[in-house]
Parts: sequence; structure tokens; C-alpha cells
Amino acid sequence: MTDQSIVRARDASRTFGRGASAVVAVHGVSCDIDAGARIALTGPSGSGKTTLLHLLAGLDVPTTGSIDWPAIGDRADLRPGAVAVVFQAPSLIPSLNVIENVALPLLLQSIDRRTARVAALDALTRLGLTDLVHSLPEELSGGQAQRVAAARVMAGRPRLILADEPTGQLDRVNGLLVIDALVHAADRSNAALVVNTHDPDVAAHFDQVWSMSSGRLLQREPARR
Amino acid sequence: MSSGRTRSHGLYRTWVIATLRRRTGPVLATSLGIALAVALLASLGAFLSSSKATMTRRAIDSVAVDWQVEAQPGSDSAQLAADVGATAHVAAAEVVEFATTSGFDTTTGNTKQTTGMGQVVGISDTYRSTFPAEVRSLLGSDAGVLLFQQTAANLGASPGTVISIGRSGLQPVVLTVTGIVDLPEADSLFQAVGAPTGAQPQAPPDNVLIVPSPTWHKLFDALSVARPDLTRTQVHVRLDRRLPSDPAAAYSSITGQARNLEAQLGGAGLVGDNVAAALSGARGDALYAQILFLFLGTPGAALAALLTASVASSAADRRRREQALLRTRGATARQLVGLGVTDAITVGVIGAIAGISLARLVGRLAFHSATFGSTETSAMTWTIGAIVIGFAIAVITVALPARRDAHRTTVAESRRAIGRRQNPRWMAYGLDFLLLSASALVFWLTSRNGYTLVLAVEGVPTISVSYWAFAGPALLWAGGGLLIYRAVSLLLTRGQAVVAAGIKPVVGDLSDTVAASMGRQRRVLARGATLVALTVGFATSTAVFNSTYEHQARIDAILSNGADVTVTTSPGAIVSPSSATATAIAATAGVHHVEAIQHRFAYVGADLQDLYGVNAATIVAAGRLQNAYFAGGTAKDLIATLGARPDSLLVSAETVHDFQLHPGDPITLRLQDGRTKQYTNVPFHYVGVTKEFPTAPHDSFLIANAGYIAKMTGNDTVGAFLVDTRGADVAGVARRLRDVVGTSATVTDLVSTRRIVGSSLTAVDLSGLTKVELAFALALAAAATGLTLWMGLAERRRTFTIAAALGANRRQLGGFVWAEAGVTTLGGVVTGAVGAWALATMLVRVLTGVFDPAPEALTVPWAYLATVLSICVVASAIAGAATLRSARGLRLELLRTQ
Repeated sequence: MTDQSIVRARDASRTFGRGASAVVAVHGVSCDIDAGARIALTGPSGSGKTTLLHLLAGLDVPTTGSIDWPAIGDRADLRPGAVAVVFQAPSLIPSLNVIENVALPLLLQSIDRRTARVAALDALTRLGLTDLVHSLPEELSGGQAQRVAAARVMAGRPRLILADEPTGQLDRVNGLLVIDALVHAADRSNAALVVNTHDPDVAAHFDQVWSMSSGRLLQREPARR
Repeated sequence: MSSGRTRSHGLYRTWVIATLRRRTGPVLATSLGIALAVALLASLGAFLSSSKATMTRRAIDSVAVDWQVEAQPGSDSAQLAADVGATAHVAAAEVVEFATTSGFDTTTGNTKQTTGMGQVVGISDTYRSTFPAEVRSLLGSDAGVLLFQQTAANLGASPGTVISIGRSGLQPVVLTVTGIVDLPEADSLFQAVGAPTGAQPQAPPDNVLIVPSPTWHKLFDALSVARPDLTRTQVHVRLDRRLPSDPAAAYSSITGQARNLEAQLGGAGLVGDNVAAALSGARGDALYAQILFLFLGTPGAALAALLTASVASSAADRRRREQALLRTRGATARQLVGLGVTDAITVGVIGAIAGISLARLVGRLAFHSATFGSTETSAMTWTIGAIVIGFAIAVITVALPARRDAHRTTVAESRRAIGRRQNPRWMAYGLDFLLLSASALVFWLTSRNGYTLVLAVEGVPTISVSYWAFAGPALLWAGGGLLIYRAVSLLLTRGQAVVAAGIKPVVGDLSDTVAASMGRQRRVLARGATLVALTVGFATSTAVFNSTYEHQARIDAILSNGADVTVTTSPGAIVSPSSATATAIAATAGVHHVEAIQHRFAYVGADLQDLYGVNAATIVAAGRLQNAYFAGGTAKDLIATLGARPDSLLVSAETVHDFQLHPGDPITLRLQDGRTKQYTNVPFHYVGVTKEFPTAPHDSFLIANAGYIAKMTGNDTVGAFLVDTRGADVAGVARRLRDVVGTSATVTDLVSTRRIVGSSLTAVDLSGLTKVELAFALALAAAATGLTLWMGLAERRRTFTIAAALGANRRQLGGFVWAEAGVTTLGGVVTGAVGAWALATMLVRVLTGVFDPAPEALTVPWAYLATVLSICVVASAIAGAATLRSARGLRLELLRTQ
């Protein structure tokens, strides 16, 4: 717990709905995530992992409690640039080809087109995806699409990378390639990396494994390698 | 089997309920397209039916005497009258006698005026009340010895004048005139009953005297014996007029009744069927109305179908995902097709109910009648027809694509809305160019017969429509639509640099990325732009056509009436341009300008023609003369030529042909001298050809300088005053002028004339059709831009949500949305306007027969076009804003699904 924390949650809860039909997806979570952290967030389906990830990414706001990003700034400063998210479902824009998808977050930061394309190509090269540069998302396999999503994260050099079950729809080989790509991306910018996963093999790649159940953050322990 | 069917029924029921609850927006949007098609067809159909009934009613109302049954030689006329009177459908019958006289003459002082041959007609005391429209009193008594106005003018006779009547082989007899009358239906009154059309007299007699029946018998019974060829007897019939509302059916019915009567009379009488003659013209007009319905209604319905297809296809990706999911749960292809049919029925039912409700509402608002003035049966027939077409659209646009997808081998194969898929095959084959070439060819071929759409072959009782001529505009519409698709598609691919430069002010540094994105969505965007273009084209071409039609109808009415209000002096009345009457007319409230024109009868050789004396300096503006009224120059040029020499004369093309005239040729007219009442030779010279002139007949007439006629005949009497009210309060000014002139003149106004003019289609007030058409065109324009754009963008909410999750700010997200909206709307509007111009030009040319006279140029309704443009822009803006609002809400659930 330091002032250099990338993200800091204090007793954060997120409730959906009201009254009798209200569902508490995240319940009183407090945590600090520092630069360079490698965290696997595990738990059964419906335990609140995705909701917590959205809260940490600033895509959603807690109903009670607070979430801060001391090393970054306000919620408005998170995107584009500082925080990158990889979603479980394919999240490439169908009408843009691979390099345009990867360059898009940089263009959204008003980085000039030439610089953005160079950075995108560099990220794709590092992940061995140069032969897919002009492919369209519909022409990619699920593993390729997630690796391109990882390249998109890498090109932006974010401070915090959050991935929501990025290997959930992939076979083991492709899943590990995606995790390697994300770790590589995080290493490049010394970013904190939080990955939601069901897969123990995936979790084993991380320094810490945090587990959730019924919206509560239960255990935080080093990964068993 | 039974349990399987029950399971399927349960599946379909669940599907319908879930669809209505969870996909309300798309279902309503698709239903809206069907509703517009149903409403448009039901409205136009009911209007068409109502118009046809109006045409039948007006045609019959214009007939003064329904049948003229002529006694054949040797028949007993009293028995004939009794037999005719006893026939079914005959409401009243009157015997009318005709005798040919060798001429009339009168003596004024030392001068004697003589006419050529004429007719003396004997009528009963009750004839005028039975057939009130046949004889119109102008001066003097309503009964007794009534002289036809033209004869009165020729003889200089008025009530009290003694005239001598010549009888071939007998001594002339003398009678005193008691009244002057007009014979508005002289053509039919003096028709040769039983003679074919070509053998009918070219003009009614100029000299006619009407006398009481006893008088006629007293004068001509002896002639009947001596020269039976110079007398004839007719029974004039008024029918109960219970006829079908459709002109063609009414024509068929009345013709059958007439033939039936002839058969019953066994050769004693031949029927001159004036009702059938009137309906013959009306059935042609009804076919023109049907053509208009097809020209204007079919594209509207086709557009509504395209709109439905476009909206339905926006949800195609979702449907395919759902089908894939259902397949994994064990649904069979048959069940998937069944679900597609269920969707079609759902939107069909909602669309039909909404469409019929909308049609009835439109009927109430535009015509104060839910059935548009047509009968309930007729409205119901059109309603059912429209519903059937609505369901057909639902099946074609919803069920058939679902069936196609259900039989696809893989889901991935069907998910290619975006990407590198080849262009449609028709682009490679150049189908658009082929259609446009075919359109030009058909247009050229059909134009060779003068665009005669309604064919009435001589001697054939039925008339037909040359539907072949429809192919030109239809092919232009289809080819134009495909060409627009090609153009937009090419712009978005090959012209990406241009697009990027164009959208840079809106999207900034993202312009290349957005242009690339749009290039890959070219199919969706080109389809949207094409739909907008076709809709704008439909709205614009319809509006231009309607405006041109209205403009020409007004000109037609002006031609018939002469001006906003026309004051026609009574025959024999002496009204000079400086008379108290003229001064009073000019001083009447609401009168802006008064133009006096002379009207005389002049002999050209043996032909008696109408001669109009005008003031060349003012008549072009005052008479609103159109260039189409003249041949060989503009109205201004020819009237200037007329005014350049006092003795100039403009004559009709027919006269030029008959008398082999060449410009500059001298021509002598015989005109009545105002001082001596004798016909005298007046020299003119021919300077040009006129085809139409306000108040003039359509065939032969002459135009000369009023000052010259007055000088040469010593008579400056005005025939009519053309009153310009600047279009304001025409009926009010006419009313005030009637008070001013009393019985000394007849006052007619443009508004009334327009309601009763001729039998051409312009007689049908198309303003109702215009209102309905243009309102639907606006609704289609709004739906095509707003709905299509909104549905397309809504289906890509996930894309915008991803962009927002990546950090796209409001302006950047707006860049994506507004660039697409701009290309779709702007591309559609611009290309649609160009297409509309071509289509409207072709429509007006093809439908030349509808116009009388033919238009010189298209009339552009700028206010309506501005409304169309505004609606497209506003609908597009609303769709874009709604999409942006939705994307900025960052709906995270969209990020969890594909």
C-alpha cells in the first residue's frame, strides 16, 4: 500500500438493480495494485470478477466505497492511454483491419497517424503477427484476435492492463500465447497486469492469485508454479 | 408427429412473445415499412376508386339529354315516344321535331339581313324543365319563339324582331322573336344519329330557331309531306342514371341498354347515346388516372418494400447468431424457417393494422372521409389488396432471408456484412448501364407515337393502355438506383482519399481510419445512400410532376375561362371599352387589371370562325399567354409581330393548311359592319400561327388588332373583359362583378371553371392525390434516412461501445457516426435530386397526354423540396444523436457478447 499504487480500492461495492431484485456483484473490496504487479483473479462464474475488473478499469463506478488511480489521476485520465482492457469476447472493430485496430487507441490519443502505425507494426511484430497486418477481424481465428487485442494493448504502453478471461474461448496453446503476449506487453511498460481466469495453468503464470466468491475478494496468495 | 407439432407451436408462441418483448424497436421499425406500403396502396386505391366515380358522375352530369332516339322513315313517332317512355330506366321522354329551313331574314330600315340554311326545332311546353341544360335563356322570354344567339348576331335581331323563315318549295312564314337563347349542347342536339363518328357534322348549324311544338306542326307539317327528307322527329330521353361508378363499366352498361332499346323498337328508332359519348371520354380519363396511380403509387410501395428489406437486413447478423444458437440446441432447419415465417407474420400483422389505420386517418384528414369518398365495398377491396401486398413484402423481406440463412452450411459463411466480399455480380455485368440504356431505348421507341398511352381504336368498343411506355421510367428508376449504388460504392473504395479529405473537418486525425472503415462497410452505406436517393427521387419527381400538373391545370382553366374572372357581354349588347360598364368593372374591389377583347364571327371563305380583337401591347401579360399557344415563335414575339402592322392576322394551323397560306399572304375576312349590319370585306395579312387563346375554341379561330377591327367595322364592342385579381379572392370578385353587370353579361371565374372544365384528366382535382402522395413521400424520406441509419448504427452499437471503452471521446465517436450519416444522407440527397430531375422530365414527357396544354418546362416546388431536404437532415441527425447517446452510455453488457 503506497502512494505509487496504480489503482486503489476501498470498501468498493457494486450493486445492480434495486429493492428485492438487487444483486450485489462486488461486495466491500479493498485492494492496492502497484506498477509491475502480475495478478490472476480467479473464482467461479458469477463471483464478480468481471464487475471488479470493470471497476478497476474505470468503465464502471462503485455503488459504495471508492476506487482511485493515484499514479494516473482522475477517472477521466484513464483512457485513452493509461488503462488498457482486453475483453473476453472479440473486441476488435470489424470494419478496421489488424493494423488499424492496433493503431486506433494511439490515434484516439491524437498521436499522428504515421507514429501510430509504426508503433502498431512494432507491437504486431513483437507478437509475431506481421503476416496478419492487413487482415480483417472476421478473417482471424479466436486466438489470433486475442493476440491482436494484446498487441493493441502493447502499442499503447499503458500503466494498467486488465484482461477479462482473454483465454476463455481458446485452446490451451493459443491461450498461453495470448497470456505471453499480455505479459510481454506489461513488461514493456512496467504496467500492472490483472487477468481474470478460470484456468489454473494460466493463473500459474502470475506472481499473485486473488480469488473471489460471491462478490468478495477472499484470498491473495503467490501463485504456485 | 402430433407432439412434435405441439412442441413447434410452443416454440413459435414463445418466440413471438419474446420477440415482441425484447426486440420491440426492430419489430416496430420493420412493421413501419410494411405499414407505409399498406397505407399508401390503400389510400391511393381508394382515391383512384373515388376519382373514377367522380369522373363517371361528372361525365353524366355534363349530358343535357341522355338519349336522342330518332324515328326512322315510315315509323309512327307517337308510338315511338310511347314505346321509349315505357322502357326500363327511362325517367322522362319528350318528342322533338326538326325542320331544315332555307334561311332566315330580317329587315332593318332599308337593309335586309339574310342567313344561310338553318334548323327550326319544335319542343313541348315541358321540354325545358325536363332538359334544363339544353337551352339557356340570354335575353327576353323563356318561352315562345327563341332565336339562337349566333343567329341573332348574324341578323342583328333581338326580342321583338320579326323574322321570316324560308321553307323549301313553300311560302316563307313570319314570326316574332320572343327571346334569345344559347344552345350549350348544340353539337349533340344536331348530331346525325346513327352516323359513324367520321360522318358527323363538323359543326352545329349557325342558324337555329326554337318554336313551340304546335307552332312547328303548323309551319312544317306541309313540308313533312312535300319534303320528308327535310324534317325528322326525335324522342329525347332522361334516364334514371343508375350506373356503375367505374366509367368503363358504366359505358358498357349504358351501351347495352341503348342496344336493348333498339332491339325492342324493331327498327323504328335509332339511339343517339349522349351518355355513352360522355363516358367514352371519361373511361379514357379513368385509364389515365389508373396510369397515374401506377406511376406514382408503385414506386412508393416498392420503396416501402425496399425500406422494410433494408431495416430487416440490419438485424440479419443478430438473426444468424440466434439461428446458430438454436441449431446448437437442436432446432431443425424446418423450425428455423418456421421462426422466420413467424417473424414475417408478426411484422405483417402489425404493419397491416398500422397501415390501414394510417390510411383511414389520412383519408379523414385529406378528404374528410376514411374511405376517401369511395364506397365501403371499393375501399374494402383496396384494403384487402393492400394487406395482401403488405404480407407479401413481409414474406419477401423477412421470411425468405431467414429461410436462406437456415439452409446455409455454416454460420461464418453468412456473417459477412463487412469485408472483402466481391461486389455484387450485377456490377461486373454492368446491369445498371444496361437498364439505363434500355430505358433510353424504350423512351425513344415509345416517344415515336407521341407518347400515346391510352389507345382508343376506332370502331373498337374497349380502350386499352400502352403499358409498354411504363418500361422507360421503370427502367430509369431501377437503373438509376443501381448506378447510385455503384457510384457510392466506388467513392468509398477508390475515392477513399477524397472521402478522408471531405470528412477531416468533422473527424480530424481519424479521417483516414474512418474513411477506411467506411470503405469496408461500402455495401451497407451504399445501400443506405441508394435508398435515400430513391426516396428523395420519388418525393422530388412526384412533387415536380404534381406541381407541373397543377400549373398546367391552371393554364387549362385560364384557357377556358380567359382570366381569373371573365365578364362576357351578352350577344347584341353594345359595350365599348370606355362604357360605364367597363369603368364599373375596373372600379370593382379586388380587380387589379381589366383587359378588353373583342369577339366577332368572321367568314374565311365559306368558313365561319371566331375572331378575337386584342391590344397587342397588353394582351401577353393580361391573357397570361404561354409560348405553347403559338407556333413558330414565342408568345411575346408573335404578338409583337401582330402589333407591328394594324392589319396583321394570326390564324390557326388548320386554316393555314386549308387555305395554303404563307407568311405575308393577304387574306380577306367578311365581317359584320356595326353601322350597316351588313357583312363587308376587310383585308388582313397573315403573320403567324396560333394554337390556343383564352376563351377561344380549340379548332379554328383568328386573332387581330382590336383597333383595326373597330376602325374597319365601325364597331368597338367588347366581347369579354379579362379581369386579373392577382389570384386573390377570385370567387368574391366574381360575385361583386355579377352585382355590377347584372344580366347584361355573364361572369365566370377560374375556380368554378377548373371544376367543370372539359373532360380531360385535369378536370379531376388531383390535389387530394397530391396531398396523399407528398405526405407519404415525406414519411418515406424520414424513414429511409432516419430509420435505416438508426437501425444500421444500432446494430453496430457494440463497435461504438468498443471504441468508447478504448477511450474514444465524444467528438471522436461522433466522427464515426456523423461521417457515415453524412455520406448516406448527402450522397443520397444529391444523387436522388439528379435522378429525380431525369425521372420527372421523362414522366412529364411520357404522360404528355395528361397535360392540356403540354408544359413548356417543369414546375419546381422549391418549398416542398426544402421540406424533403430538411426532413432527411433532421431524421439523420436524430438517428446519429440517438446512436451517440447510446454509445456514450458505455453499455458494458455489449462487451461480454459477440
